[in-house]
Amino acid sequence: MNIPIDWTAAGPAAIVLTGALIGLLVDAFYPRRTWNGPGLPAAAALVAAGVLLVSGDSAPVPFAFSLIVLVGTLFVVVASNVMNFENAMPPGEYHFLLLSAGAGALLMVTARDLVTLVVALELLSLPSIALVGIRQGDARAIRSAWTFFLASVVSTAITLMGVSLLYGVTGALDYVGIREGLAAATVPDSVVGVAVVLTVVGLLFKLGAVPFHVWIPDAYVGASVMVAAFLSVVSKAASLGALLVLLSVALPGAGDSWHPVVAIVAAVTMTIGNIGALRQDDAVGLLAWSSIAQAGFLLAPAVAVSTTYGLSAPIQYLAVYALANLVAFAALAVILRLRGSTRLEDLRGMARNDPWMGIPLVFAVLTLAGFPPAVIGLVTKYVVIRPVVDSDHLWLAVVMGANVMLGLAYYLRVVVTLCGRSAGDPYVSPSPPVSVRFAKSTVLIGTALLVALSAWPDLLLTHLP
Amino acid sequence: MIVAALLVPSVVGLLLMIGRAHVPGRVAARIGTAAMATSLVLYALVWEGRDRVSGEIDVAWIEPLGARLHLGVTYVSWPFLLMTALMGLLCCLWLLADDTSPALVGLVLVISASSMGVFSSLDLLLFFVFFELALIPMWFVIAWYPAVDETGVQRRAATRFLLFTVAGSALLLVGIVIIALDGGSLQLLTAGTGSLAAAVLVCLGFGVKTPLVPLHTWLPDAHSSAPTVGSVLLAAVFLKLGTYGLIVFSQVLDRFDDVAPYLAVAGAAGIVWSALACYAQDDLKRLIAYSSIGHMGFVVLAISTQSTVGLAAAVFGSVAHGIVTGLLFFTAGSLRDRFGTASMARIGRGLYARAPRLAVVFVFAAVASLGLPGLAGFWGELLSLRAAYEVGDVLTKPVAWTALGLALLGIVLTTAYFVRAIRLVAQGEPTPHEADRDLDRREAVVMGLLVVAVVVLGLAPNLLLDLFEPVYRSYAQ
Repeated sequence: MNIPIDWTAAGPAAIVLTGALIGLLVDAFYPRRTWNGPGLPAAAALVAAGVLLVSGDSAPVPFAFSLIVLVGTLFVVVASNVMNFENAMPPGEYHFLLLSAGAGALLMVTARDLVTLVVALELLSLPSIALVGIRQGDARAIRSAWTFFLASVVSTAITLMGVSLLYGVTGALDYVGIREGLAAATVPDSVVGVAVVLTVVGLLFKLGAVPFHVWIPDAYVGASVMVAAFLSVVSKAASLGALLVLLSVALPGAGDSWHPVVAIVAAVTMTIGNIGALRQDDAVGLLAWSSIAQAGFLLAPAVAVSTTYGLSAPIQYLAVYALANLVAFAALAVILRLRGSTRLEDLRGMARNDPWMGIPLVFAVLTLAGFPPAVIGLVTKYVVIRPVVDSDHLWLAVVMGANVMLGLAYYLRVVVTLCGRSAGDPYVSPSPPVSVRFAKSTVLIGTALLVALSAWPDLLLTHLP
Repeated sequence: MIVAALLVPSVVGLLLMIGRAHVPGRVAARIGTAAMATSLVLYALVWEGRDRVSGEIDVAWIEPLGARLHLGVTYVSWPFLLMTALMGLLCCLWLLADDTSPALVGLVLVISASSMGVFSSLDLLLFFVFFELALIPMWFVIAWYPAVDETGVQRRAATRFLLFTVAGSALLLVGIVIIALDGGSLQLLTAGTGSLAAAVLVCLGFGVKTPLVPLHTWLPDAHSSAPTVGSVLLAAVFLKLGTYGLIVFSQVLDRFDDVAPYLAVAGAAGIVWSALACYAQDDLKRLIAYSSIGHMGFVVLAISTQSTVGLAAAVFGSVAHGIVTGLLFFTAGSLRDRFGTASMARIGRGLYARAPRLAVVFVFAAVASLGLPGLAGFWGELLSLRAAYEVGDVLTKPVAWTALGLALLGIVLTTAYFVRAIRLVAQGEPTPHEADRDLDRREAVVMGLLVVAVVVLGLAPNLLLDLFEPVYRSYAQ
């Protein structure tokens, strides 16, 4: 049997997987339990994959998603150095799983047929589940991983059911064949509708859309902070990319059956996410719920996926969301390592007494809220509302507006807590680990990027499709 | 020049916030005063005449969205800009005291600068960015620098203020998106849309900010919690963002005509409602806050007529309200500094005997606010009534005259509650208090300047009205 492989699409993923294996081997033969051993080949593989991606000539949409996935994974790898010499974390396995999941994410956004999509989905999911529970002796992490596993399996099963229905209706597995098959299909609309909706369930699950969001807060809080960052950025980017490509290439003809579903899911997701975030006292839990709300914003423009702005808006929004979220999570990882807590109360006054971590956190949170001086957050809010209005979903646009307000209610709390006066003397870690500087530098580089984008939003908007 | 006028106060404000530990409060206030004075002078000098956009700057910004860094001064925004710069200047003067926090001066500067940014923007997205920029600093002013310390109350008031305003501006953002998609332009002078949804969303958005009854519930609490400068900026500048927005966006929205009757009725109802609410207030700051809602009602009524007279009335009413209500809040602040409360019952009676100059300024501000002829407040109200009487092209006669009747009733009620306030505080048997003290020099300078401004605008309204004479409805074309 001869399977055609498009190496411009699969090349980067192959390099990333190779990097994962090398990382694992390095750790196996030089078991020094330090992060630099497996970390270096991992980072090198990601950079090499990035070079290959940039020098190749892939289509703009998969290119943008792949780039976001690669840069996000690289960011996570570098910032994960904060866990260096933490005995409970095995570095070799960590990097191996992280890069395997990264390769799965890359394959997901380049997949052009349903079998590849399902395989890639599993390649992303299984290592992610292991990553959540990887911390040795942490009962909570194991429990979170277990929840995540169950939810993941159920949603994959539902997706497989949808895929088989689609195959039955159209007789094709590649996207173009499905589109042609749907156009010529003689089966009732209800069957097509069920098939389409079931297929997207697995992707909505990875995206964290309501009602498949319940695993997110549990997994984020149970996992180590940088794993949560990976889930909230790379995993989301991959599932959003796969979803948009699937909807725009394979299923534009069945729009009537999924437009209302996507619109309602988006509206409910952002509302539930924001309401959940209002009740959080821990910064990581708050970001977990906020990432659910942001998933709603990412999903909303999908109702206009076949228009000019419909495909570019979520990409631009995703890029900014990813950067801001990575900065926030990396800063929290540093804070957790130095202070042992990410509860909001314990962060009080950080912008005053630890400005190098506090101010980036404030800026990242303002970006997520879409509030000046983080102009880029506001501009991308404008960008995602535009296709929604353009496709005559005015009610959805108004819901998005209301959610901007709702979101501000808790983002403001973070900002105010960080800028407030701390009760006692500023906390100073007695023996700060040296390795924190890698994570700190990623935070600062990310913040610098966000500031630059706020000054020149053009940089982002003209360079992404 | 405009860029410099915006950058000087914002940069100085940021520096003051960063270096708050190294600058004494008095010095910070002096620096702030200088920065605002620079802005005021620059904005006064930038004027090139009524028929053109003065000091225009037009630079590419976000090409894919069609947003540009487009700043300029039109004859509508110029009075607002001068008033804002003046009020920012006076707030800094007011803070010339030893116990001033330098960060508060910084916040005042940033708020003033971003408000001036709103008035100078000729690009809708830029307008929106400036519109939002001032909100979080204002939250800090209200929540962190309260005149009376009641933990939790200020934070709640501040958060309510912020959430109401952001809810409004989120609707405004959706409206701007519609305008941009419909007309294909984000430039204020060329944009246009025939969408009814845009008109409704934009008017609701600015209605929260103005505020229009029944969207006004955030205002009294925010005012009574805020420090004096916070109240002054809220009333004199922030509410004007709402009315200015209505004035300029009404030119962009073709379907504004469909919303105008509701605006007219809401404005007129606000005049009566706020006057009745004022009658029940004991706290002076809440009373002034409610009276602001009434004044804004006149302005909104004027805007809804869409006539030349209405436009002139709206601008004049806004500027006059800024100056007069600023003066009222400064006097209320003086009273609160002395007695620790703005409750009329606790301040006691007979202020004429106890602190004569302060009492006279208070009474002067009150009668200016109720619209005594010869003072600034009079012309805005008179022109609003005339605009409603002439009906204009947009409203129907029953609507306009109903609003007119309500407004007249409101004027009577306004007079009644201000006379009650004057009687309760200024007149009557003096009840001496150990905190009785007349105006000191700082207060006298700030209030004196405002009194002069009120009298000048009252006696020579043509200074402002001449800007509007030859223009007919659509100033933009």
